[in-house]
Amino acid sequence: MAKKDLVMKNPLRVLGLEKKVKEKGAGMGLVIARAGLGKTAILVQIALDSMLWGDKVLHVSIGESFDKTRAWYDDILDLMAAEKKNDNFQTTVTEIMSNRMIMTFKENSFNQAKLEERLDDLVQQNIYKPVCLIIDGYDFQKGDRAALQEFKEFMVRRGLKMIWFSATTHRDDERKSPVGVPAPCHDIDDLFDVALLIAPKEDAIDLKILKCVGGVIDSGTSLTLDPSTMLIRKA
Amino acid sequence: MSVDLSNVRNIGISAHIDSGKTTLTERILFYTDRIHAIHDVRGKDGVGAKMDSMELERERGITIQSAATFCNWKGKDINIIDTPGHVDFTIEVERALRVLDGAVLVLCSVGGVQSQSITVNRQMTRYKVPRIAFINKCDRTGANPERVTAQLREKLGLNALMVQMPIGLENDLVGVVDLVTMKALYFEGENGEIIREEEIPAALQARAQEKREELLEAVSMFSDELMEVMLEEGAIDPELIRDAIRKGTLALELTPVFVGSAYKNKAVQPMLDGVNAYLPCPTDVVNVALDLNNEEKEFAVTNSPEDPLIMLAFKLEDGRYGQLTYVRTYQGKLNKGDTVFNSRTGKKVKIGRLCRMHSDEMEDIEFCGSGDIVALFGVDCASGDTFCSGDISCSMSSMHIPEPVISLAIVPVDNKAQINMSKALNRFTKEDPTFKTFVDHETNETIISGMGELHLEVYVERMKREYNAEVQVGAPQVAYRETITARAEFNYTHKKQTGGSGQFGRVAGYMEPLEEGEYEFVDSIVGGSIPREFISSCDKGFQKSLVKGSLCGSGVTGVRCVINDGAYHAVDSSDVAFQLAAIGAFKDGYMKAKPVIMEPIMKVSVEGPTEFQGSIMGSINQRRGMIIGTMEEGNYTVVEADVPLSEMFGYSTTLRSLTQGKAEFTMEFSAFKQVPKLVNDELIKKYQSEKKNA
Repeated sequence: MAKKDLVMKNPLRVLGLEKKVKEKGAGMGLVIARAGLGKTAILVQIALDSMLWGDKVLHVSIGESFDKTRAWYDDILDLMAAEKKNDNFQTTVTEIMSNRMIMTFKENSFNQAKLEERLDDLVQQNIYKPVCLIIDGYDFQKGDRAALQEFKEFMVRRGLKMIWFSATTHRDDERKSPVGVPAPCHDIDDLFDVALLIAPKEDAIDLKILKCVGGVIDSGTSLTLDPSTMLIRKA
Repeated sequence: MSVDLSNVRNIGISAHIDSGKTTLTERILFYTDRIHAIHDVRGKDGVGAKMDSMELERERGITIQSAATFCNWKGKDINIIDTPGHVDFTIEVERALRVLDGAVLVLCSVGGVQSQSITVNRQMTRYKVPRIAFINKCDRTGANPERVTAQLREKLGLNALMVQMPIGLENDLVGVVDLVTMKALYFEGENGEIIREEEIPAALQARAQEKREELLEAVSMFSDELMEVMLEEGAIDPELIRDAIRKGTLALELTPVFVGSAYKNKAVQPMLDGVNAYLPCPTDVVNVALDLNNEEKEFAVTNSPEDPLIMLAFKLEDGRYGQLTYVRTYQGKLNKGDTVFNSRTGKKVKIGRLCRMHSDEMEDIEFCGSGDIVALFGVDCASGDTFCSGDISCSMSSMHIPEPVISLAIVPVDNKAQINMSKALNRFTKEDPTFKTFVDHETNETIISGMGELHLEVYVERMKREYNAEVQVGAPQVAYRETITARAEFNYTHKKQTGGSGQFGRVAGYMEPLEEGEYEFVDSIVGGSIPREFISSCDKGFQKSLVKGSLCGSGVTGVRCVINDGAYHAVDSSDVAFQLAAIGAFKDGYMKAKPVIMEPIMKVSVEGPTEFQGSIMGSINQRRGMIIGTMEEGNYTVVEADVPLSEMFGYSTTLRSLTQGKAEFTMEFSAFKQVPKLVNDELIKKYQSEKKNA
């Protein structure tokens, strides 16, 4: 029961991602914030949520080491374990770990074509067929609309349901899209189905849902991050 | 011998296999005048490197046992433990790290950080060992010390900082630039023993300045004085920089990186200067002992020669003159002829002879003091024992010992070999806690188990060479385990009446999975249904049942046996009767407790050119492996996976043919996991048929 419990109680349920993946087909998500506010922590929680549903996740980490990426998962799981105090938690973790694979690339060597090549290695030999892709560290300053559109087409070709990106904003760039997606993603926000902004407040960190096409958000729902653990909660 | 402990360095030299650490040690011994000629590791000149004293080590070109040696460099006494590079001999590395104060992490400038370096680094972190890095083989084609330094940061998470930069690389390596003094150092003479100090070549000036800025910026964090001088833009005294580097290194927040080529006799001496300057002396490190008179409460040893003696036996060797015990002294002083206590056995031991070891040669000494690493003669003890003087009873903290994962059946070829084999096994098991042996009573074979194929292979070879014990070796077998997954009741009566006094005993209770630990026995008998004198017989009976599970004949672990009822007979009950009743009860409950077979899973890391990534991943997948992730490093890819050990036999051949010999892999034990149903059924079937044919 531990697994079902974790899935149902996950605050991410408000985004209706499960419904989106099942019914709508491919979609792209974005977690955007200034540096050091916890984008990776959010992406890891989104990945863990997918893994709990039974979906295979490929976590692509650009410019970060394999061990550091894995350590994010270990840390978040440790925090969740301490919070849930569920006897079966460790068994659940062991069970879902076969739904995760990590790929790391150097900043200067990552592109969509290379990723597709690597994915082919996995899929064609029936080693691993991911449903959800996490791309952490993608450089939106360099990548333009065409590059992002390529990712959308690539998703359809490879049967992926969801790709999540992280993007870093800069304090001195105040450009924003009409729905509030800040630069550098302000003029490509139409490509994303979901956009989440991490916004620090005085004593907490808000996770603002800027955009959620087809979500099941109740009016007034917002998410917040526990600043000490970076775990997502309902506000 | 130094009495001032600030002049003592106890260091280890650890790294990945073939990164050249034995060659480096050979050069150290040469430059410190301990040896007067340099020999090749692989013994091409028929002599072999000094530290590879086992014949087998010289043939294979790897270090199997760590050897201890001592040298003096610029007034500092340096005790060096040369540690093995292969992952199968990790216990040797662990033991060395337990007793050392600092270490030199040797890396190949071409191969860089490999998975064994990661294992060794993890161990160093566990034992809080400050280290410096030496990037060796800068003369090799493809040498790139800057890339290796970046890997030290990325892969090992060390704050690695180059304190030198090479002058030329590959064939053009001629010397190094010391970024602390901003001087160029060249190594001349037949064996690089003459150091010529020059100004930095003009072509390297700008780069050296840039690297020095990087160094200063990072180390100034550890010295306010240095930071002030830098802010005032004054001339910086090299001593100030060295002090800051030392502070950072001792705090485990900095790893100074040296470069060179031991084989080409380039820049070994500055690395030795680094050992003196940056690695700790015994008083810089806090070592903790457990007070056996005070509920094993931890206390820090004092290092003072005036305090009662505490020393740890970290390595045993059976030499020409009997057992040789390597010890590290943590406090107090030991004189030849003194009597000490073994705190594990409580026995008195007289120290008849005390030596400093120089690989397989000895130098008799009269006394040793705090911080020293020496060898004792003819002392009967086990590895890990603590010796104290009579006025104190303590134990140094226990060492982490991994469980064996692989086993081999060995059969002596004749009677003489049988006797010699027993002697050899007796010694090896005493020396190496990861090497275990037992006799399988069903097949009458002797089973040896250890940490990998090479580990066992080496012991079989040593039996033959050192003990003249020729044995026939079976195919390597994975050390499976059995465990239970559910609680089950048992109730068994052992009754035998064949004339004369009979046997009677009834044992009832339940067994359940034990989360941590191998076995637990709980006596919940009330009202004396089993008399007190037969309770331990029940425990013995259960323990006998654990030796061989009924699924595939492997040992059973993770079981708690609770007895809560039973019956006895005033005349017919006996120790044997209750042991047999417990064995019957275990059988009764075991199959109801849903037993499963567990197998060792290895953490495998395969490194090869990116073009072969698909093939590498395919080969792992075919072996029931779970790929955890991949890392692209330029043209190289590293695939990390968890693979069952049973699937890894012969993998090196497969990998070679798949990648034109361009990929290599390393593996280490990760965990025991339940085998899949298909494998489970196969193992049971195999065991049943073996039993039938036995």
